[in-house]
Amino acid sequence: MVRRLSVYEAESTDPYRNLAVEEYLTYHVQPSECVLYLWQNQRTVVIGKNQNAWKECNIELLEAEGGHLARRTSGGGAVFHDLGNLNFSFCVREEDYSVERQSEVILRAVKSLGIPAQRTGRNDIVADGRKFSGNAFLKSKGCCCHHGTLLIGVDQQQMGRYLNVSPEKLRAKGVDSVRARTVNLRELLPGLGVAQMKEALLRSFSEVYGARCADAETENQAFSPLFADRPDWEEIAQYERRLSSWEWKYGRKLPFEYTVSQRFPWGGIELCFHVNGGVIQEIKVYSDAMQEQLARRLEECMKGCAYRRNALLARLKEARLDRENEEADRQIRSDIGRLILREVMK
Amino acid sequence: MKHPENLVYSRSHEWVKFIDETTALIGITDYAQDALGDLVFVNLPEVGDEVTSGEPFGDVESVKAVSDIFSPVTGTVAQINEDLLDAPENLNEDPYGAWMIRVEHITDKEELLDAAAYIAFYESEEE
Repeated sequence: MVRRLSVYEAESTDPYRNLAVEEYLTYHVQPSECVLYLWQNQRTVVIGKNQNAWKECNIELLEAEGGHLARRTSGGGAVFHDLGNLNFSFCVREEDYSVERQSEVILRAVKSLGIPAQRTGRNDIVADGRKFSGNAFLKSKGCCCHHGTLLIGVDQQQMGRYLNVSPEKLRAKGVDSVRARTVNLRELLPGLGVAQMKEALLRSFSEVYGARCADAETENQAFSPLFADRPDWEEIAQYERRLSSWEWKYGRKLPFEYTVSQRFPWGGIELCFHVNGGVIQEIKVYSDAMQEQLARRLEECMKGCAYRRNALLARLKEARLDRENEEADRQIRSDIGRLILREVMK
Repeated sequence: MKHPENLVYSRSHEWVKFIDETTALIGITDYAQDALGDLVFVNLPEVGDEVTSGEPFGDVESVKAVSDIFSPVTGTVAQINEDLLDAPENLNEDPYGAWMIRVEHITDKEELLDAAAYIAFYESEEE
């Protein structure tokens, strides 16, 4: 039974730091405690644990405009965050986990602002048939995290640009996102701000869990102090290093195939990469170029290479694709290099 | 809900089928797949990885959550069921056919329940 309610508001808007704090709270929540963590990220696309980053997000565009891609540890699809979005997380032990009750906190808060809202079967919360909150869940080592977005005044144009990718060249295992029509709560309640939403959530949190937060220690305050000691920032930094690493974001064992092709004056070429764990496990090259060894040599050059732009360019620099004609060799490598520059991420 | 007599069960809802004293297949029970809901992804360990009794060896993603799957035995992963990577729904449709890992060199195991004791366990847990 939940007897102690704690609230923690993030100080940072860095997605890796914020997800790391969430992980810390998830694994350190006490028996009978429920933590409500409120946080916001600067321009970020967050994908589900088992999603292909390239398939879900236009990473190149996102990063060029100063955004970040992050992968969370819960399931589900890709979402866009900016400062018009407020994230909530409920961290609680498994015996006190109740999606109904946690969702009730959100529903009650939104309704208290005069917006009629309801849950859908797909882990979304909608108003007027349009989604303003996507929810995802994690159960690990007896600890649970239920988190979600709250679209208050998100830049929907940017959201569409970053989440709109061209998957026809990419075939991937993993979980696909489900598109939904979204709505900003501010559209339904003009002038609504993040601070007002936070207040409504805190009120609703305490109301839904009722008198149970008023234990002896905290009789005169709605919420318990979060940490008996200060949070362990060293542990949080460890989570943050993992969450921001290339290996976690792009190098998970989620196999995919990516095919790129282009026609050049010397012939057409198609490269089909089979990537798993961030490494090119296999590559098939098809070409109608005069250089009959070209395909085989390219395959030998790229197989086993990290699926990263600079690693591939370095391999290409060492290759000899046309051993008879130095000028043609340079031209072919330069053309393929530009193709990689365009199609393969940093 | 089915719980075959020839298997033994863990309190974290995995089934174990001993092939010999130190080799076993491990999967999730009918009860587990029903509680988890429709599965959409499975993360398995690699062949050669060590698994430890009571520790997670992988996780599954359903429409409800990402959840750990625990190993009831200590040993070495000899084989993984790669079919599940393409067809996680097999865990829902045929939980006792869809084994997840084969473990060999088993040196330790938690206290495992027979079918009747397992049913009594989860029924008492539900109350």
